[in-house]
Amino acid sequence: MNPSMLRQLKKAAGSNSLLDRPEDLVLYEYDAGVEKSLPSAVVFGENTQQISRVMRFCAEHKIPVVPRGAGTGLSGGAIALGHSVVLSTARMNKVLEVDLPNLRAVVQPGVVNLELSNHVVKHGVYYAPDPSSQRACTIGGNVAENSGGPHTLALGVTVNHVTGVEIVLPDGRIAEFGGKAQDAPGLDLTGFFVGSEGTLGVTTKITVKLTKLPESVATLLAIYNTVEDAANTVVAITQSGITPAALEMLDGWLLRAVEAAVHAGYPLDSAAVLLIELEGMKETVEEQADAVNRVCLQQGAREVRRVKDEAQRQALWLGRKTAFGAIGRVAISYYTQDAVIPRTKVPVTLAEIDRIGKQYGLQVANVFHAGDGNLHPLILFDGRDPVQAENSRKAGKEIMSFCLGLGGSITGEHGVGSEKINLMPYMFSESDLEVMVRLRNVFNPDSLLNPHKLIPETRMCREITGPLPKAMVEPAPGVPV
Amino acid sequence: MSATSAVDTLQQELAAIVGAAHVGLPGVEINGIAPTVSVEPASEDEIVAVMRVAYQRGLVVAPAGGMTQIQIGGIPERIDILLQTTRLNGIQHYDPGDLTIGVGAGLRLGEMQRELGKHQQWIPYDPPNADSATIGGLLATAAAGPLKAGAGGPRDFCIGIQFVLAEGQKGKGGGRVVKNVAGYDLMKLMIGSYGSLAVITGANFKVFPRPRQTRTYQCCFASSQEALAFANTVLRSPMWPMCLELVSPGAQEYLREAPVTVDPDDYVPDHPAVRPASQWQLLVRMAGSDNILARCRRELGSSVSSELEGAAEEQLWGWVRRFEHSLLQRHRNAMVIYISTTIQGEAAVLQALERAAPEFNFIPAAVGRVPSGNFVLGLLPLAIDPPSAMQFVNCASHFRGLLPAGSSAMVAHCPKEAKAHFDVWGTTPTDLQLMKAVKHSLDPKNILNRGKFIV
Repeated sequence: MNPSMLRQLKKAAGSNSLLDRPEDLVLYEYDAGVEKSLPSAVVFGENTQQISRVMRFCAEHKIPVVPRGAGTGLSGGAIALGHSVVLSTARMNKVLEVDLPNLRAVVQPGVVNLELSNHVVKHGVYYAPDPSSQRACTIGGNVAENSGGPHTLALGVTVNHVTGVEIVLPDGRIAEFGGKAQDAPGLDLTGFFVGSEGTLGVTTKITVKLTKLPESVATLLAIYNTVEDAANTVVAITQSGITPAALEMLDGWLLRAVEAAVHAGYPLDSAAVLLIELEGMKETVEEQADAVNRVCLQQGAREVRRVKDEAQRQALWLGRKTAFGAIGRVAISYYTQDAVIPRTKVPVTLAEIDRIGKQYGLQVANVFHAGDGNLHPLILFDGRDPVQAENSRKAGKEIMSFCLGLGGSITGEHGVGSEKINLMPYMFSESDLEVMVRLRNVFNPDSLLNPHKLIPETRMCREITGPLPKAMVEPAPGVPV
Repeated sequence: MSATSAVDTLQQELAAIVGAAHVGLPGVEINGIAPTVSVEPASEDEIVAVMRVAYQRGLVVAPAGGMTQIQIGGIPERIDILLQTTRLNGIQHYDPGDLTIGVGAGLRLGEMQRELGKHQQWIPYDPPNADSATIGGLLATAAAGPLKAGAGGPRDFCIGIQFVLAEGQKGKGGGRVVKNVAGYDLMKLMIGSYGSLAVITGANFKVFPRPRQTRTYQCCFASSQEALAFANTVLRSPMWPMCLELVSPGAQEYLREAPVTVDPDDYVPDHPAVRPASQWQLLVRMAGSDNILARCRRELGSSVSSELEGAAEEQLWGWVRRFEHSLLQRHRNAMVIYISTTIQGEAAVLQALERAAPEFNFIPAAVGRVPSGNFVLGLLPLAIDPPSAMQFVNCASHFRGLLPAGSSAMVAHCPKEAKAHFDVWGTTPTDLQLMKAVKHSLDPKNILNRGKFIV
């Protein structure tokens, strides 16, 4: 960006709200994914009016803008492609209102997910969606990505907990959708906006639901000697008629890495564990805990432990939620996937992931939201070795194409971003994507807001729908599907 | 070309797509407007072809399913083609193990629930008229019933949607898996869009294990304030009710088998089916084992006046679901209003109803889901004089003026003569300009349900 333009942008943003020194900008060139790109400037959003001024200025001068929360995203959604200006909402971190009678809170986008729950827990309520990065990620980012988390199995993901948003459009116009009440007449633009990955507008205010704390929680740790038994248990629990609050799986390789990092209490000699949480009325939880215990043992669990106290429970969850970080201690690089498959296909998919890993000579560690079939295989490699780096990409692609072949999705909660934009044509036809482009153009006609994210331009589809993943869609020989 | 021959040509053109047997003259009027031609395509491809014809000629299309909610909305400017999706009634996939199902838009909800029931599954979704309402129509109108209180609505369990745009282009959102953030959430956009954005052709849902046992506790209170205060205690208790429904004294008359009446305007005061009720009822429905139900019974304490289970319980909830239809069956001039409000706004909404109704010679009746703030209000014209069109208009306007901030009141049913004089949709907190821009981007010629919806 030329110095004159930068001066004007600084004027629109306010002098304390802009970074432009290279040493500052490098802190904003990455997120928690794999891509990097240096922004031309970083603007801190301070309030709705100022964001509106900044957006209007950028629109007038055709400067692309990339909204950013805490930068914990895993799909490159906050990466400033093409020297965009990064617009960080991290400073807008106030809880504006806690409305207990209506079970709502109104927050600014920079409020950290866990901070909201911390803020309201004294009233016996909390904010239910709990992405693993909840200690750092912001609610604005959660809205953009429609974030999930382990406890969204029973209670739903971000979109099920947002009832209203205030946004600033790329041309600087301020718009409101929804509010504290639900189901007002007209189009549900709130629901449509959540998960739009910063391609429709910048969120400046969010109204969310608060959920009452459960009376009782039971946490079970089912320990297995084979991954297959653990996977079969997931299918059996789903079919038993019980919806746990959370149903997570960690394979042996991963839980050993977790133990080395945080000493959470996972058994080191197991092939896999299921971390199962049941919430609700005391009587309900006790009955479900008994039933789940039975199912686990029937499916070959070596042991089912019931967590005794809150400290132990917190330790296990800390281990689960910091699993990606723990991998950093044992592998130079890792590549995370976010595929979703029908739940009955968990066993066959894990077998296939294992086979693909072996084929490329790469270790794949598995940690995932088993209850809703949302897999996170972590492909471990040494990024300094170009052959390994290339193989990790190939293995990732094969895993994804297998999942797509089962009728799955390329992303359950991490978002498409720039990372998976080339995979969109394998889920959506050119016609489907053209509809999405039209809708984006209503809000963001020149694609100046978060360009090249989420929805590929349809002309791009023709270039990328090659035979590559589609040829791999059929399950490998011998795999029972 | 004369008008008759233009219709003939259109019929022939449509017959070439769907077969002559599936093109006809519709026997239905929508708010007094008779569609010129009705067509029943058998597939998404046939819908594409029909829409292409309509788009090229600028013909106005009204998509239709079971037509249980077709009268909701403004008076259509005109309807050239009534496009019925009822033949798209297949189940595309049902995987009981995965708890997902994909169906055609024309499948009746009741039929889908029966199929799911074979595997002790269901979707916790109980809008009125499940046996005749289609999935497509229910999604388009975002219809809901008492289960909304505990389980949410179609926005919470519709995981994929397929549709055809005005110019005949296919589109879809979501997929077949229960968690999915690939692409825009077009399910949310289409649900509640009243057929104004696209013709919904199919949808996928997550399904749930059906509760093995439920029970309903009837609690009675002298005032709406007391009933709502108790409902809030239940909301804050450890219990998670499936339904938490408030029933006004005036509504109780309609939660039973309708007396046989010759004239739908023969109002009850002369021959009420029961003694007019004076108490407010709160219906609390719980699911679980004997042990769990016993705990709930203890928690609810002395407020419970009776308990229902089995067939009697099902029958009661059937009546609650059909509330607005019982009203309309017995009073063709009834006005039905859908309310969206906050939990705290409910008391003020009910007070507004009690104040506005008598001023304009209406008798009020209300049922509603306390946790979600969705109420169905009935305003029954007194049989003193034939009601005037402006009576409805003025009452709706006065009532809306009394509502607490952030609440909306959509007039779902009133005589069509009144609709010409006011906006049935009412206010919305959501940016209208953007809604209109979304509509224009998907239907630039405005051929889908022109005049019906808010956009």
